[in-house]
Amino acid sequence: MAKSEAVLVIGAGVAGIKASLDMAEAGHSVYLCERKPSAGGTLVQMDKWFPDNHCSMCQILPTLNRDRSSQNCLRRGLVHPNVELLLNAEVTELQGEAGDFRVTVSTRSTGVDAQLCTGCGLCTEVCPVEVESQFDEGLGRKKAIDTSNPYVTPRQYAIDWEKCTRCGECVSKCPTQAINLEQKESTRQLQVGAIIVSTGFEEFDARLATQYGYRRYPNVITSIELERILSPGGPSEGELVRSSDGRVPASIAFLQCIGSRDSRRDYCSSACCMFAVKEATLIKKAWPQTDVHIFFMDLRAFGKGYHRYYERARDELGVNFTRCRVPVVKEDPQTHNLVLTVASEDGALVRRQFEMVVLSVGQTPAPQFREFCQVLGVETSRWGFCQTQPFSTIETSRKGIYVCGSAAGPKDIADTIVEAGAAAGGASKWLSSPAARKAEKEEVEEQVGEEEPRTAVFLCGCGGEIGLALDLEQLADNIGKLPSVTYVEQIPYLCYAETLETIKKRVKEHKVNRLLLGACAYINKPVLDKLAAQAGIDPELIKVVNLREDITWVHRDQPDKALAKAKSLLAMALEDVRQQDYPPASLTSVTPSALVIGGGIAGMMTALSVAQHEIEVHLVERSPELGGNLKEVFSTLESGDTQPLLRDAIEQVSNNSHIHLHLESEVTAVSGYAGNFSVSIKEKDESLNTVEVGAIIVATGGDEYHTTEYQYGQNSKVITQHELEKTLSAGELDPGGLSSVVMIQCVGSREKDRPYCSRVCCSQAVKNALKLKEANPEIEVNVLYRDMMSYGFKEEYYTMAREKGVRFIRYEPDRKPEVKADKEQLTVELVEPVVGGTLVLEPDLVVLSTGVTPGENRALADILTVPLDEDGFFQEAEEKFRPVDFLREGIYVCGLAHSPRGVEESIAQARAAARGAVSLLTSEQLEAGRIISETVQRQCRKCEMCIAVCPYDARARDEETNEIVVREALCQGCGACVVACPSGAAKIRGFRDRQVFSLIDAAF
Amino acid sequence: MERYATIPIGNQGALGAIRQFLASLLEKKLVDALLVPLELPTGDNVVPTIVSSPEQVQAANPLAPVMPVNAARLVSRITMVSSSPDRLGVVLRPCELRALVELVKLKQASLDKLLLIGIDCHGTYSVADYGKFVGESSSPTEDFLKRVRESKGDPLLRKACQMCEYPVPMCADLTLGLLGANLDKEILLVAGTSEGERVIQELGLEEAKAAERESAVSGLVAERSKKREELLKQTREEVKGRDKMMATLATCINCHNCKTACPLCYCKECFFDSPVFEFEAEKYLGWAKRKGALRMPNDTLLFHLTRLNHMVASCVGCGLCTEACPNDIPVSDIFRLVGYEVQKLFDYVPGRSLEEELPLTTFKEEELPDIGV
Repeated sequence: MAKSEAVLVIGAGVAGIKASLDMAEAGHSVYLCERKPSAGGTLVQMDKWFPDNHCSMCQILPTLNRDRSSQNCLRRGLVHPNVELLLNAEVTELQGEAGDFRVTVSTRSTGVDAQLCTGCGLCTEVCPVEVESQFDEGLGRKKAIDTSNPYVTPRQYAIDWEKCTRCGECVSKCPTQAINLEQKESTRQLQVGAIIVSTGFEEFDARLATQYGYRRYPNVITSIELERILSPGGPSEGELVRSSDGRVPASIAFLQCIGSRDSRRDYCSSACCMFAVKEATLIKKAWPQTDVHIFFMDLRAFGKGYHRYYERARDELGVNFTRCRVPVVKEDPQTHNLVLTVASEDGALVRRQFEMVVLSVGQTPAPQFREFCQVLGVETSRWGFCQTQPFSTIETSRKGIYVCGSAAGPKDIADTIVEAGAAAGGASKWLSSPAARKAEKEEVEEQVGEEEPRTAVFLCGCGGEIGLALDLEQLADNIGKLPSVTYVEQIPYLCYAETLETIKKRVKEHKVNRLLLGACAYINKPVLDKLAAQAGIDPELIKVVNLREDITWVHRDQPDKALAKAKSLLAMALEDVRQQDYPPASLTSVTPSALVIGGGIAGMMTALSVAQHEIEVHLVERSPELGGNLKEVFSTLESGDTQPLLRDAIEQVSNNSHIHLHLESEVTAVSGYAGNFSVSIKEKDESLNTVEVGAIIVATGGDEYHTTEYQYGQNSKVITQHELEKTLSAGELDPGGLSSVVMIQCVGSREKDRPYCSRVCCSQAVKNALKLKEANPEIEVNVLYRDMMSYGFKEEYYTMAREKGVRFIRYEPDRKPEVKADKEQLTVELVEPVVGGTLVLEPDLVVLSTGVTPGENRALADILTVPLDEDGFFQEAEEKFRPVDFLREGIYVCGLAHSPRGVEESIAQARAAARGAVSLLTSEQLEAGRIISETVQRQCRKCEMCIAVCPYDARARDEETNEIVVREALCQGCGACVVACPSGAAKIRGFRDRQVFSLIDAAF
Repeated sequence: MERYATIPIGNQGALGAIRQFLASLLEKKLVDALLVPLELPTGDNVVPTIVSSPEQVQAANPLAPVMPVNAARLVSRITMVSSSPDRLGVVLRPCELRALVELVKLKQASLDKLLLIGIDCHGTYSVADYGKFVGESSSPTEDFLKRVRESKGDPLLRKACQMCEYPVPMCADLTLGLLGANLDKEILLVAGTSEGERVIQELGLEEAKAAERESAVSGLVAERSKKREELLKQTREEVKGRDKMMATLATCINCHNCKTACPLCYCKECFFDSPVFEFEAEKYLGWAKRKGALRMPNDTLLFHLTRLNHMVASCVGCGLCTEACPNDIPVSDIFRLVGYEVQKLFDYVPGRSLEEELPLTTFKEEELPDIGV
């Protein structure tokens, strides 16, 4: 069977974008299909993310071979030469099998011909039909012909077919005849080897929870609406206002679990607690006087760094947290304030007024999702999400079809990104290796800009639009006198296909080697690259000035200012192209082998995923045998028995000819850089072995926390969850002989010394409680907890445990339970916070949930020169968007080395880390960007300040020549070295002193 | 933990005792050579000199209150290409030692085989003032020591020295302790490292206590800090705002003497001496035309601000830049003013410790929240 090298990704939200970029970077052809008219999904509706309260979306973009993806901001849309974006498109039919799928995709026309549209916006201006902006969650208005969101560049207009009255105003106004009021549908057949489903979620429709008055009371909004309100690009331009009177609300209440954790949706949406904490944080930072309350059931801050963020919101910013599920919201019709019945500090119910109520709506599958899954032939789960396989959160029921992100169940961005990487890894198994990869680039040997500069200037009039405020005649006259300008022409529409012919002709006639275009934002990088290729001019020697957006639209009534500004901007751009002198991009070869450190389940899965691509893997494990922590975990809530998985993994690793095992070994030194590391391994017999690898994956795991609290170690009836699990599984403990068991959660976790949640212990307690109950329904099991972290579908098991009679009793961290041993009898005393009374329990067994601590990571972190976080886990490059990479390129992290997580999550992370490594290792060569740094050796005093400040490991002292060199493939052109170097020896190409000086001079 | 010994003075005077001590280091082969200020035959100045003979070291005078050059620059010059092959003792003032530590962090000097001998500093005069002082005194060194002991605030001291709150060497192996010592009888020898202790042992010097050193040091530091507050306040007024700053620097002739005198400015070729700053005549006239007037030489403000930007975090306040200026621009005052604020901001004291990282090379996610967005 001939495998295809192409992949189809369905859904262009964060999961789809990440999976597509991963596949595209590996050289595969990617079809990215999106139902909506623009890419970005829920992500672009949001503005900022915790933990850093910034937008860091661009961090998803590739850092190696970076010039191949021609964009900087993902809000503007996704542009990659290997990704074909199919918007307004849906999959209608699927045939074939893994490796050879044939997919029918049906595309609805937008009514606006993208080839003709200049993005001038006249159609929107004249359209008489106002509709709700879906992007602004209905808070803002737009027209029936409009762009789908304000960020997309170039602006893509589309007709809202449902609302359009076909009045024809836009058709007659459109200067380029780009509009057609007849809706068309076209279908297309795609042949792909694998499919990734990344369709995301729909926010829960808050109207269904009628008791909260959403859409009846103007000041009750959803969390996503709040996100739009807080966005500077949103309906109130970032001002926090309530819709009844446009005032900044003095008090806001967030109600959690709207559409989650109830009988209809017995799952936790996983992301909303942190979403609310983040929004509360942003509000408190910008409007400190606002009184912010979050009403929650359990505060599920279970991910890496989440608990710290929550504590900061509570303790430093003064966000109020109250544990209470608010039953109903009423409105005071005079003030439009909302009246809530909530628990007061002493637990009594009181009525409180708030000026705004935010409903933290959960994640649900889209209504049409089940039907869509039927088309694909994949199963759905009880709650209508995509069904995944045991221990594999990315595999669907059908071979060759993978799923990632919230399509398979609610999750947050970080976990979604991990799954997207893992799914890309899974899908690549079914694809033939991309052949086209190498031949992409023609051999360009000469340095850019070697010839005497001759520049042609084309000024676009945009059909009169630009001329409205700008005297183009005078501008053309002025620019014609500047140095190197050999030709100036005014053109009605620069974006037209015919114009390209004109430009080609002029380039030849006037022997031009540089182009300066006065146009609009429509002329973006992909358009320019095409123009460059056809006109035979280096893309670096073409510059665009946005006369329309930056000048005409800003200075409509100020022709003098418009002209002065246009002159300055064009003169600067001209100076810029005149001075360009990029040498040809350098190539760095890659050693196609990998090092995996740690032989637990994460390490083994990583090794197997990499070896699957016939890449040699060195797996280094400190202990005498493989398996790590999984040897002590016998089952998981969602996937069941773990031991077959473990046995299978060990067998596969041991028998794989591409995996070289180094047991009882340690990594002692690492030198080199991404693609070319040299690693010293101290082997079992103490000998030193040096291996050359291109990538390194850290999977060193974590440890169980060792406690001395609650009589542990003094009384044999006080044991840990692991000990309980082990003795139960081995049959050493007979549940029939027990009458009462107490489990204590958060032992050592979420405390001052360890301010993080260990994530796994609540599930572990539920799991073991269920096991006990199953073996002996008469056992009384009391779980003493602070917040139950049964996120996602784990919630069902929490419900099940309660149904089976397991009692969950909360305790406050400042009034911990007390375990006392009196002769033979253990007693546990605690203050129950709701009732306030003291409970005394007399269990046969006390089980402590001790959680996860980082391993001894410091030494390895120093060897790898990668950082650890505040708690001692490895610190990834970026918490949300680069969760398995380090800033130091070529090194990846997964499993407990990264943070506490469950078995399934560790495996997904292992696969994502492997995907990153495989992408790097299957690149035969890494291509440097053009805007990178260089060292002027004559001026360099080798103070190494540049090395110290480089965040990308791109500068080093060459041991042979003693010179400071740039590892060109790693350099991101950030310029930190230039700032640090006092001698002017560190330079950024394209931004050398002369170039910048002449640009400044040209401006005035 | 510091250990103390004493060098008896006897009837040879403090300077004689120090010369004797230095000679014994050479004689006992504890060092193969010394870098130390030697008196000129004319007696009106001292010059740092590498001395290997115990006889020649008899002309050494590290007590002379004059510093024609910051010797950190010289140690850098000696050890930059390759570290010292033989043991070299370097006798340095606190600001010289601090500058040296900064240069080591900047990889412009090596401490290999170096014995760092610091000396308590009462401050220095300008070269001209010192010459005059020597001319008016029969035993200038003794007179100077008497002067600083008896009166507070010697008006002859350079401004930089008057406000220097680091009169005691940091990071030295050995310190010649003048503060808190009874200079009629003895000089303190302070060992700051095990290397220093070894030297004391080899010389067979008696261990001693230094009961009065701490209060003497803190008294002087307090006095200097007070003076610093006063002088920095003055400077702040003098250079506040663009116009005053421009006026202060207006007489700069672009000679770059300040950069040459600075112990830290370590570039091979100053960026401002490079061809980047050579322009065609039409540029000059063009700028003049655009602004109406162009003050020449141009780019002097940019030069000083750039040097400030590059060096201020490590500035030890030795003040030699001001000394070097032919037009009496108070360069050091500006550096000290900005340096004081910047260094405080990063809790950084240049030359305090080799372990302390340069502020520019450290990164913290949450830093300077009040600056920027």
